[in-house]
Amino acid sequence: MTPDAVPAGGDPRRLLAEARELARRVRLAQRVTWLPLLVLALVTFGAVPVYSFGHRVVSDCRALSDGEVCKVWFQAVSFYWWAALVLAYVVIAGGYLRVARARGLGARMLPYVLTGVALVVVSAAVTAALRLLDPLPYPGGPSAFVVFLLHLLDPTGAIGLALLVLAWLERRVALLLFALGYLAVVLPPPIAAGWGTSSWWGPSTQMEISGGLLLLGSAGFALAQRLRRTR
Amino acid sequence: MSGPLDGPAPDETESPHPVTGLDDVVHQRVRLGILTIAHEARRVEFGYLRTQLGLTAGNLSQHLSVLETAGLIEVEKGYAGKRGRTWITLTAAGNAALAEEIARLKQLIARVETTNAQ
Repeated sequence: MTPDAVPAGGDPRRLLAEARELARRVRLAQRVTWLPLLVLALVTFGAVPVYSFGHRVVSDCRALSDGEVCKVWFQAVSFYWWAALVLAYVVIAGGYLRVARARGLGARMLPYVLTGVALVVVSAAVTAALRLLDPLPYPGGPSAFVVFLLHLLDPTGAIGLALLVLAWLERRVALLLFALGYLAVVLPPPIAAGWGTSSWWGPSTQMEISGGLLLLGSAGFALAQRLRRTR
Repeated sequence: MSGPLDGPAPDETESPHPVTGLDDVVHQRVRLGILTIAHEARRVEFGYLRTQLGLTAGNLSQHLSVLETAGLIEVEKGYAGKRGRTWITLTAAGNAALAEEIARLKQLIARVETTNAQ
């Protein structure tokens, strides 16, 4: 067979359909969706003991008619999230490259990893601004919408936002739906959000739920991948 | 991430017939397949191309040679352990040629559909 043995003309519809099918197969081979979900689940579960036992700074306590309100900064948790998430994205990038290379392909996760790291930086900047400038009304708390935005930029929200980018890169509707469902669970509704929590254990429970969701997602996508390969 | 395979067919019914702009190097089933895979994968290994396109090593090498001579791909040889591996990357000219070919194919299809509808 010579390079020109295949007719140069051909049905344009068929050529286009074949090209689309080849592109689809490449995308399927590049997918390792379970990996970021697993790594991020482990990072989220790792935050639970840090929330429970890590250093927190309590200040400006004021008596209210029904109790007391204080400003609390989970100092250890903040540093944990920033370091753990950046490390997680490095591990994810390495994992994707390794798997893609083993399959004879390049990887396309760079925009996802860059988005993830950029969101960590933004999250850190917002936390620093809140600490230094103290712009939020106190003790009343900000509006529900501002609370929603702040939660969107906190580590669990940022994980969901970055997953939307991964769904777009992988052109995977199932991952898009998963990311939206995850965000729906971890974010407070913008019209009824409360500010803060009355229990020390509140954030830990939230981390367990977020981590559990990511772990379930990882297992689901791994199973789907295995089933597709055995077919 | 959008690619040349996405989006609607361009409407250029007043322009010259799209077949006049087809590039013989790219308008060939196997070479179009190579460019498509290299575009989607960023970087692709010789073995993956051979398996997906169902070609012999010699035949694939000939097609790669045509594309490399035309400046549409870059071929990089390396080693993974003791095993030699050849990686293919699309050049900027290759990206442009692929996008042009896909656009022409969409125009051709649009022409055929317009003609059939009349």
